[in-house]
Amino acid sequence: MTSADLLLQQVINGLSLGSMYALLALGFTLVYGIMELINFSHFNVFMVGSMVAMLTLQALGVVGQDTVMTGFPLVGVLLVAFAMSMVVCGGIGVGIERFLLRPLRAVKGPPAMITTIGVSYVLFNVVLLTLGTDAKNFPNPLPPIVWNIGGAVLRLREVLIWIIAIVLMGGLTYFVQYTKIGRAMRATAQDPEAARMMGVEVDRVVMMAFFLGSALAGASGMIFGLYYNLAKVDIGFGAGLRAFTAAVLGGIGNVPGAMLGGVIIGLIESSSGQIVGAAWTDVVIFSLLVLVLVFRPAGLLGRIAPNKS
Amino acid sequence: MVSSAIAAVSRPFMAMSLERRKTLGLILLAVILLIFPIVNPDDGDIDNAANALAYATLALGLNIVVGFAGLLDLGYAAFFAIGAYFYGILTSFQVMPLWSDVWGPFAYLGLVEKMNQGGPDLVHFTLSFWLALPLAALTAAFFGILFGAPTLRLRGDYLAIVTLGFGEIVPIVARNLDSVTNGAAGLNGVQAPRLLGYNFGIDATPYYYVGIGLAALLIFVSTRLRNSRVGRAWVAIREDETAASAMGINLVRFKLMAFAIGAAFAGMTGVYFVAKLQTATPEMFNFNVSSMLLVMVVLGGMGSVWGVVVGAVLLQLMQTWFLPQVTGWTHSLGVALGNSYLQNVDFVQWTQLFFGLILICMMLFRREGLIPATRKVAPLSFAAQHAEVKRGGFVGLDRIPRWTPGAGNALEIRGVTVKFGGLVALNAVDLTLPAGGVLAVIGPNGSGKSTLFNVITGLVPADSGSIKCHGVELLGLAPHQVLEQGVARTFQNIRLFPNLSVLENVMIGRHARLKSGPFSSVLHTPGNVAEEAAAKQSVLDIIAMFGNRLTPRLAQMVGGLSYANRRRVEIARALASRPKILLLDEPTAGMNPAETLELAEQIKSLHDLGLTILIIEHKLDVVTKLADSVVVLDHGDRIAEGLPDEIRRNEQVLTAYLGRAARAAVMEETDAG
Repeated sequence: MTSADLLLQQVINGLSLGSMYALLALGFTLVYGIMELINFSHFNVFMVGSMVAMLTLQALGVVGQDTVMTGFPLVGVLLVAFAMSMVVCGGIGVGIERFLLRPLRAVKGPPAMITTIGVSYVLFNVVLLTLGTDAKNFPNPLPPIVWNIGGAVLRLREVLIWIIAIVLMGGLTYFVQYTKIGRAMRATAQDPEAARMMGVEVDRVVMMAFFLGSALAGASGMIFGLYYNLAKVDIGFGAGLRAFTAAVLGGIGNVPGAMLGGVIIGLIESSSGQIVGAAWTDVVIFSLLVLVLVFRPAGLLGRIAPNKS
Repeated sequence: MVSSAIAAVSRPFMAMSLERRKTLGLILLAVILLIFPIVNPDDGDIDNAANALAYATLALGLNIVVGFAGLLDLGYAAFFAIGAYFYGILTSFQVMPLWSDVWGPFAYLGLVEKMNQGGPDLVHFTLSFWLALPLAALTAAFFGILFGAPTLRLRGDYLAIVTLGFGEIVPIVARNLDSVTNGAAGLNGVQAPRLLGYNFGIDATPYYYVGIGLAALLIFVSTRLRNSRVGRAWVAIREDETAASAMGINLVRFKLMAFAIGAAFAGMTGVYFVAKLQTATPEMFNFNVSSMLLVMVVLGGMGSVWGVVVGAVLLQLMQTWFLPQVTGWTHSLGVALGNSYLQNVDFVQWTQLFFGLILICMMLFRREGLIPATRKVAPLSFAAQHAEVKRGGFVGLDRIPRWTPGAGNALEIRGVTVKFGGLVALNAVDLTLPAGGVLAVIGPNGSGKSTLFNVITGLVPADSGSIKCHGVELLGLAPHQVLEQGVARTFQNIRLFPNLSVLENVMIGRHARLKSGPFSSVLHTPGNVAEEAAAKQSVLDIIAMFGNRLTPRLAQMVGGLSYANRRRVEIARALASRPKILLLDEPTAGMNPAETLELAEQIKSLHDLGLTILIIEHKLDVVTKLADSVVVLDHGDRIAEGLPDEIRRNEQVLTAYLGRAARAAVMEETDAG
């Protein structure tokens, strides 16, 4: 492999990881944009999404790496698995918001954030106690189609991941920009009090943000499984922190920013393995997080959050 | 029978004063703790108790950061790791540089020894445990400052995630710096402490006693700090950062101090923990430790010293005693019922699930924790809270030292412009306030009055201009520096520290005039004791000026006070800083006419003491009563200045307030009258 091929390969890998982080980052950004809350439960909602996708695929008869499908059955199986993980995660998100966070909305300071840490713990341990700690073989029904671009390899699953990410992000952008509730979300992000006075049902907007963010985390969890061919109970922490860094990097609260940040983080991760060694990737990413927060807290595309005065 | 017996036994106890009861309780607790290993010589139990003490000391440190200063630190275990590796590396065989004569003096002091394992002579570090405790505390504090300095300027929620990142980085570094830390395998052969020739070895009992000493020390330090100038500054920051800095608290400095002291606690505990285990691995310091400590603090009560100790002990009991017991019972039940699930379930594995549930339940149902930091105060009797509107200004003014007007003008504002994006909030405003004068600023809503106060007190930067207080430039100073220069303010929408008592709120106002740091506060040096006593006396004198409005409520939380009383506390807090200039932002807003009159006369009496006052006020009768001179702002421009009576008839002012048509009507009326 020449160095140009290596670079291309890293871009391919980085874009796939980046798609996953971007989808996950959107959940942080939607919730933060509307309620200024870092939602730690998001880490493990993502992990649950990965598990739900795995169980759904297994229920549909796809086991391990050996079941290969093509055509309509493949599309059908993937759609069902994505839909299932998104709906279950969206439901969990709504439940967290409705029953655990809404009672705390008027409370200032860390209680809401501490609650999300608690929820994260509960999700983690429920999965741990029911499914165990071992890495699971994530079913992969994709046919092994490979394109060679120079020395770099582009597999079908990477293309699929990109397509799914683009569709979901496009859908979200449309939703936020052009629908009535999307407009209500943007209004609430600017000024919850004014939005409420103008007749926006803030409760519904917050719930919608949780639903969308968590559903995207579910999709992201399935992408994780397809990319790494594994599902594991402790994947939430690392992926979640990277996605959060992505959200901050792009400008927290900013939807296109989260997408951009996700892709950048993906590229950094895929190349830092070469440059500083995989063991230090986390250190690189956390350092980036600190540097961004200290020197450019608004991120690359600007921060959007309620102006609490 | 039984209840009367209990009553008979407890009667002498209940008859004691609260102070005596506390002392007796402490002595009882100490005796129980000291005889525990003798009564129950089971080494496993003693070891668990020693671990509980280590967790308690860690929770105490985290409580300083999270509970006192309100900084959610999710990577606290990093400092624990730093202390642990500090001692581990300096007493094990991991790092062994070549021997040279430079090491001679250290060998003489017993810090290193020459060692030969075949080959050249090597240095074996043999740092004493007792020396390592303070040194590790200092090292961890240093790292606390290092981590804190770039991040503490961030908003609280960002701080949480950054500390989480640091908390992850430290174990990663420990895992990957094999040559220093022996990587994932961990340090081995860490030296056990010695005392007077006695080697602690691996028996749990001596560690248990050291743990008690450490916990007692840190409880003592925490309590002393909480009730000092430093502790008040921390809780003020927790309650309201903006108000804290406006009251003279240097935010960065005190946040760093909280971080450093919290880290120091963790560093000491790290030494203790590693000496006890005689090994250190990266897994001992991951996120789970940080979050377990958070659960302890939340369970016991954020900010409550004894609460977090109880939280730590309860969680340790849950893990080492309660859950294994329940598992045993369930297994027996499973055998009796022939149920295989019940026979095999192991609740110890559920520990972290319970941690999560505890966090959620505490946040939803009991945020103040099992032992709240602030105790409910009995409500006042009708007689005690009865207050009538007092006329004639403040009482007890003879106790308040008079102000002597300083040289020159108290406040000279020249050409101050403040822009928010395209909006010009203040446009080249000039304003002069002579020493000892009372100047009122009036103007319609949005005219820039509050921005004027914010720019004077450093909360909002100016785009150009100059603001001098007795010749000292205020622009560019941080809010706490402005207060140090003698400019104190109140806020239009009252910014008190709601979960603190009236007395503490006003004491915080005194912050900038006191000097005690953490060391003198813990040691209660004569200087510190005298300073605190004098501060309390002068604060009580200020509170007493309001008659019986505030004095009976000294111990009450200000969050529960009436609106008017909260305004009074805020004025008292500003006065406690002994300002040269007092800035009052709509002090009578929301008060009824009688209360307004009372407060106006009180402000007047402050003026009679020589205090210089700048006041924003809408009620023109108050302005007329108080002010020597009135400045009118409109849309950021100064449109008029003059005596109150002139301003009442100024055409531009009337236009600004009432619009053109209404002004014409008013002018006609005045002309006719």
